[in-house]
Amino acid sequence: MASHAHHVELDPARVARDGLAPTLAGGLRFFTAARILGGLFAVGIVGFVLRLSGGFEDRTAWGYYAALFSFLLTTAGSAPFVAIGLRLTRADWRRPIARAAELFGVVGLLLLLMFIPLLYLIPSAEGRRTIWFGLAGAPHLWDTLAVVLLVVCGLLMLYASAVPDLATARDASPPGPRRSVFAWLAGRWRGSARQWALQRGALTLLGAFYFTLLVLVQTLLSTDFAVSLVPGWKDPLFPTYQALTGFQAAVATVVLAMVVLRWVGYKDYLGVDPFWGLAKVLLALSLLWFYFWFSGLIVLWYGRQPVEENILKLFWFGPYLPLFLATFVLNFVGPLLVLMWNPLRRSMVGPAIASAMVIVGVFLDRVRFFVGAFSVEEAGHALEHVPPAHLPDGIDLMLLVGGVGGALFIYVMATRLVPVLSIWEIREGLLLRARSALVKLEVLVLGKPVRGG
Amino acid sequence: MEARERLTEAQINEDLLGPTLRTPRWFWPVAGFLASVVLAGAVSFGLMINRGLGLTGLNRPVMWGAFITTFVFWVGISHAGVMISSILRLAQAEWRRPVTRAAELLTVFALSTAALFPLIHVGRPWRLMYWFLPYDFPRMVWPNVRSPLIWDPAAIFTYLTGASLFVFIALLPDFALARDRTRGWRHKLYSVVSLGFRGSLRQWKLQAIAGILLSALILPVFVSVHSIVSWDFAVAMSVEGWHATIFAPYFVIGAVHSGVAAVVTIMALMLWLFGWKRYIRSEHFDSLGKLELAVGIGWFYFFFLEFVFGMVSLEGAELALKDMQMFQWPWSLLFGIFIVTAFFIPIPLWMFRRVRRSILAMFLISISVNIGMWFERFLIIVPGLARKQPFAFTWGSYAPQPVELIIVAASFALVLLGLLLFTRLFPPIPIYDMKEGQVLHKDIKVGRSTVPGIARE
Amino acid sequence: MAVESQYKWTMVVDIDRCTGCQACVVACQAENNIALNDEESFLRRRAMEWIRIERYWEGEYPNIKARFIPVLCQQCENAPCEPVCPVYATHHNEEGLNVQVYPRCVGVRFCANNCPYQVRFFNWWEPVWPESLRNYLNPDVTVRSRGIMEKCMFCVQRIRRGQRVAAREGRLVRDGEVLPACVQACPTNALVFGNVKDPQSRASRLMAHPRGYRLLKETGTGPNVLYLKKVDPEFHG
Repeated sequence: MASHAHHVELDPARVARDGLAPTLAGGLRFFTAARILGGLFAVGIVGFVLRLSGGFEDRTAWGYYAALFSFLLTTAGSAPFVAIGLRLTRADWRRPIARAAELFGVVGLLLLLMFIPLLYLIPSAEGRRTIWFGLAGAPHLWDTLAVVLLVVCGLLMLYASAVPDLATARDASPPGPRRSVFAWLAGRWRGSARQWALQRGALTLLGAFYFTLLVLVQTLLSTDFAVSLVPGWKDPLFPTYQALTGFQAAVATVVLAMVVLRWVGYKDYLGVDPFWGLAKVLLALSLLWFYFWFSGLIVLWYGRQPVEENILKLFWFGPYLPLFLATFVLNFVGPLLVLMWNPLRRSMVGPAIASAMVIVGVFLDRVRFFVGAFSVEEAGHALEHVPPAHLPDGIDLMLLVGGVGGALFIYVMATRLVPVLSIWEIREGLLLRARSALVKLEVLVLGKPVRGG
Repeated sequence: MEARERLTEAQINEDLLGPTLRTPRWFWPVAGFLASVVLAGAVSFGLMINRGLGLTGLNRPVMWGAFITTFVFWVGISHAGVMISSILRLAQAEWRRPVTRAAELLTVFALSTAALFPLIHVGRPWRLMYWFLPYDFPRMVWPNVRSPLIWDPAAIFTYLTGASLFVFIALLPDFALARDRTRGWRHKLYSVVSLGFRGSLRQWKLQAIAGILLSALILPVFVSVHSIVSWDFAVAMSVEGWHATIFAPYFVIGAVHSGVAAVVTIMALMLWLFGWKRYIRSEHFDSLGKLELAVGIGWFYFFFLEFVFGMVSLEGAELALKDMQMFQWPWSLLFGIFIVTAFFIPIPLWMFRRVRRSILAMFLISISVNIGMWFERFLIIVPGLARKQPFAFTWGSYAPQPVELIIVAASFALVLLGLLLFTRLFPPIPIYDMKEGQVLHKDIKVGRSTVPGIARE
Repeated sequence: MAVESQYKWTMVVDIDRCTGCQACVVACQAENNIALNDEESFLRRRAMEWIRIERYWEGEYPNIKARFIPVLCQQCENAPCEPVCPVYATHHNEEGLNVQVYPRCVGVRFCANNCPYQVRFFNWWEPVWPESLRNYLNPDVTVRSRGIMEKCMFCVQRIRRGQRVAAREGRLVRDGEVLPACVQACPTNALVFGNVKDPQSRASRLMAHPRGYRLLKETGTGPNVLYLKKVDPEFHG
């Protein structure tokens, strides 16, 4: 009830005005951000060219690149999951953050480009122990197909969600080239009952597809680009662990995006409720992180077979021990200690700190697994020698800075085209809430429309 | 959608407490039949103690069979209670209200039954003190904490304690309600168990806090129980088919898959037996169906990964295991039954709203799921052992014998009997929770239509 | 901590010398009071053979060969059966033997599941002997009841007797002084038993044999039984 004290009552007109402002006007902040991020992106491209000049023979050298790809898939690529999941469970507090989450789908364009060189780094599945069992074209063709489908699905979902807002933008913008772009994008959207039903159906369907494809891509990427490269690493849990950390990092990404959105002027929309809600999800996922980690560890540790001991040494207790400990603290201990207290959970600082920890932790985690797997050069049935840790060089650092900068650059550019606030969803929320008396108390009543009812 | 009726409190009391206070006519014949099946199981167990485990079909290498399968099965079913009650309560899902108690009860009875199976399964049940109690300490011989079989009882008894408390806390207001409406021995009983609950503001507050706290605290226990059960298998490095890192989450999600299905079964039975049409509505089955759909697909993902990684090397025992599971009679038949009943029947059907809203269809599907999930455990345990290492000389097979089948059947009778007897003393739908739901349910007007809404603080 | 023992028992199995005659199996049966294996127990895969001869066929008729390998408890250094026992009924003793404490066993059978060599046996029934065989039971060995596991312990009763005799005379057990029943019975001397802590023992000298290998070495169980490969001029595998 305290949270309602500073609650500003919104009206539909104001929502449209505020939501469209950055898209239509840009502003100094936008241009500064675009310049800085664009510069970082350029650094990354230079780094990529330098790395490329070394050729594809030395797979170890590309370890950090693979880790970076996986990291971007895990954060930006997974972020739309937050919108999908919360829409599916019809959480009312999702409304102001759903678009910010699904807008990360545009980063898929960068992922698509970055995936091409990765294809040159893994051998074909023939004569190796992989999950493909001699399927034609494996793994390159099928992995590519999965990534392409994921990106396309993400963009379609973003479009399906944005159409009503694009129409609003069309109606609000002055005549000119931008207006025609919005008009073209919005198509024949009039907001008829049939169109709304269609949009809702498309959103659900594409959401389900995106979710499935995301899990599929995480699975394929982690098996083909990590597990299959290490002889004797039989770990069916690892793909699920990758998908799980993807969800964890997705929530963290959206929380940080919310912090930025508040900073650029959406304080009235992003109250404590979405922070609180996501903090609970993040806490649950952090606990699950521990569970998945421990489930895998205990089986390998108890087995005590030589190959299992080597795998444990490679990824957990050997050359990458510092990274593992950092991940353990940042992905589990830290978020737990911060988010276990409700006053901290129900604030903006607590979730923001925990999210920052999770993002860094997940990055180190990806480095540990992908650099570790890429540095294994043996073939055969069981890993016999644990390679030493592979440290990043200057080019790797350029790639990292450029990759993250590039992803954010694309996101910031996309906000000029698609409102970062889901205007129609917030307006819908305004319709579905009412104040009502319960005995002596005034309470907020949230409508839950029943389909077909 | 059916119109939601506004029910008076007196009406709710009458409907939900009635069957508890007045024994229906079908009750004693059904209970008698179930009791006789339980008795047959007890006799079989006695015979096994007397003669030896040779009466079972177990052998070398298949040292674990139908008993352990059924143990895993019931522990799996017991996951329904917490899944429904605690997670849905924390998530404030409104439709949980009529479902929670049935789910929690199922947990308690299924878990108690499961706990019997290790006892039945061991060679010398009369020496169990070595196992459960730190016996023989003059010689400093303690139970071996490195063994997953020590983690097991610890997890199960913790979960059983937690789940019983959970049921009890939620029963307090209903006990008080029954106390005020009965006379004689029932009044005395309810007076004692209601612990002086009178519905003062403070008592309600404490009851609510205890409920929330237990919900949160029991979650880690809930996850740990089936994980530990899975480690009974997964840590065994000598059994190729068991030694997989994914086992813990795979077992847990499989447990939820079968557990929620069992709740659907119980809900449908309650609806038909007690005629609670106004309380257990098709929208509850719809929501359970959606939950099941998500859980079922997730379960299949884990199953698929386990399956694929289980034959990644394409050699020796691994391949022989898959060959036995999928292509050798009669295992191929069991595998077919398993995959069809646990996945290919339920998942596509649950996608249809009409199926989810049909109580008969949901009831039949839920039974199908549990048939499949029993065979799933059977197919993990038995072929895994029968093809456990590369020495083909000791490969074997297994067929359950009459004592085993009788005892397995008796366990089903025992759980049902427990639930039935419970309804004689305690209302199986939380009455106070239903009333709370009525109060919080408000309609709001949007344009020309009315939308059901829920009051939030 | 116990004082480090001067013994570590091991066995060497020379496959090249094994004819598959099963004398070791019979000797073991008689020495260790193992219940009689009748037809039914074989058919239901419940036969008890602490040492067994595994027979594999190689090649196609008419160029077919029978291959024999005697398998007994490998007395693993890192025995998988030990950590999984909830009651500590099986443990490693200081002489490198994996021993079973019969009175403590409750019969959960996890040890048998986790044994990659399949050399742990469960008493499915109360063992019975015909009246005529009653007096043949070895008084040094317990008769196991139904419901517990049993296994090879390198005839620990013989080792203990040898050690008592040696201790009375103030010396260590000499090489060849103590032999498990199977080793004693082997007509081709395919089995060699001895103390690896005694560098002069026959078993010790065979440890570095070029034909030597350990069963399922890749599982990391650390078997204490050494096998010597078959010498086969026709084998081109």
